[in-house]
Amino acid sequence: MIEIKNLTKKFGQINALNDVSFNVKRGDILGFLGPNGAGKSTTMNIITGYLSATSGTVKIDGHDIMAEPEAVKKMIGYLPEMPPLYTDMTVKEYLNFICDLKKVPMKLRKSMLDDIMYLLKIGDIKNRVIKNLSKGYKQRVGFAQALVGDPPILILDEPTVGLDPRQIVEMRKLITSLGKEHTVILSTHILQEVTAVCNSVVIINNGKVAASGSVSDFSMKKGEVSRFNITIGAPKSECIRLLSIIDSIKTSSFLRMDHNDSVFVVESKPGMDARLDINKVFSELDYPILELRSVGKSLEEIFIDIVNQDAREKEAFD
Amino acid sequence: MKAIFKREMNAYFTSPLAYFVIGSFLALTGLNFWNINLVNRSIEFSNTLNSLSSFLVFFIPIITMKMFAEEKRNGTEVLLRTSPVKIWKIVLGKYAAAFSLFVLIVLCTAICPVILSFNMMEVTDITPVFPWAKTIGSYIGFILLGSAYISIGLLASSFSENATLSAVIGMVILLILSFLETIGTQLGGTIGSILVWISLSSRYSDFATGLFNLTSIVYYLSFTFVILFITIVNIERKRWN
Repeated sequence: MIEIKNLTKKFGQINALNDVSFNVKRGDILGFLGPNGAGKSTTMNIITGYLSATSGTVKIDGHDIMAEPEAVKKMIGYLPEMPPLYTDMTVKEYLNFICDLKKVPMKLRKSMLDDIMYLLKIGDIKNRVIKNLSKGYKQRVGFAQALVGDPPILILDEPTVGLDPRQIVEMRKLITSLGKEHTVILSTHILQEVTAVCNSVVIINNGKVAASGSVSDFSMKKGEVSRFNITIGAPKSECIRLLSIIDSIKTSSFLRMDHNDSVFVVESKPGMDARLDINKVFSELDYPILELRSVGKSLEEIFIDIVNQDAREKEAFD
Repeated sequence: MKAIFKREMNAYFTSPLAYFVIGSFLALTGLNFWNINLVNRSIEFSNTLNSLSSFLVFFIPIITMKMFAEEKRNGTEVLLRTSPVKIWKIVLGKYAAAFSLFVLIVLCTAICPVILSFNMMEVTDITPVFPWAKTIGSYIGFILLGSAYISIGLLASSFSENATLSAVIGMVILLILSFLETIGTQLGGTIGSILVWISLSSRYSDFATGLFNLTSIVYYLSFTFVILFITIVNIERKRWN
């Protein structure tokens, strides 16, 4: 549905985006994750046609944003970081203006606006002037704007920033339900948002794609069983003693006692598999290994890893 | 384009700005009318318009100052540029709104020549024929001059994020333009005559003296067109910054 290829954007000497490529499948809710200043907004601004890339292409359903800007813009509903509101208008006037702007046929308007206002729960405030609304309402009116014209693609730039916890939960629910019929790109620097709402994720850092994949298999991405829970039929002190002599273990920590069995969480040293050594050591002493279950890295660890690693590389480079 | 026009017209009349501009311009008109026509017993309203035309340098940038500057500050520029609307339509819609407000103000001043035409006997001692042709010609020139000024005001607004600053930029450009005639005459020679030829105000005096010059009409319209075109390019350019 959305194909982004080799996107590079320079602001003067600064490289805001560097060879960014990823695809979004129809019906996906893509989490676009990255620390502040990573290039999320720039990428979204390019996808929506607000900025032009220095090089690279964006194709929506096969249409290039540069060649057919109007056709592409019609397919996208965009909620920028700062909701684009005319604060001197009432909510109803504003949404009608958006209908004019997006050329929504007159006869569809009323029912479309009623649906949108119901969905975002802004029906009660439709006759109020936007500048007098609270931040949460303003955000919802901005969201409503993105839904006008029923575009198949929604691009949401940090839609939950500045909302209170209850509003955040509601906003996430709304995005999840919209995701059933729309392709959504959702940018955020909050990790929990991705795990709560999205089914795939692209992590961007310093203008480069650092990792991408679906949220469910993200933990397996690195291809190494580096961390696992292990249940051993031996007393705690004995296990701690034996684990501490195994070379390939980076860290091990005691979790709990399960009846007479000890449960540990163990992490191998990079590039090593501690499972074999553990098996050898404990079986020699006739201590049975009752359970061994890999616990992949959480998305959060990967995120922090990637960001840190990049920072380290940068330091080394400097 | 219609959407933009409607929105801008609404914005004018839901803020005090339009009322302020209309009110103060009409007050100035009244003052000049009283001074030039009533006190000095003249039925030539074109003189009054001529005197008013120099105030447009300050009034027009106030009409146009918010048009692009405010969009940028509000973040609505993103909305316009990501909507399926061509930039030239946005610029033209805004121009049409500013122009309509201006024409509305100008139409309000028409009460003065109408009053004059009914009360010629009280104003002058002789019984003259009211110079309708000259007055109407003068009005056409006035509106064309305003149209050119509006295009400059719009361009100025597209330069800045701050409405006040863009008004000042507009006024400075218009002031320089209106001094071109004086500078040109002082300089003399080829450059001088080119400056006079370019000058917007020198062409306006043709209309004020009752000369209906087709070249001047074409000049004003092309001037407006070219400046609007530069405005469009200036906005398109931002995609590439």
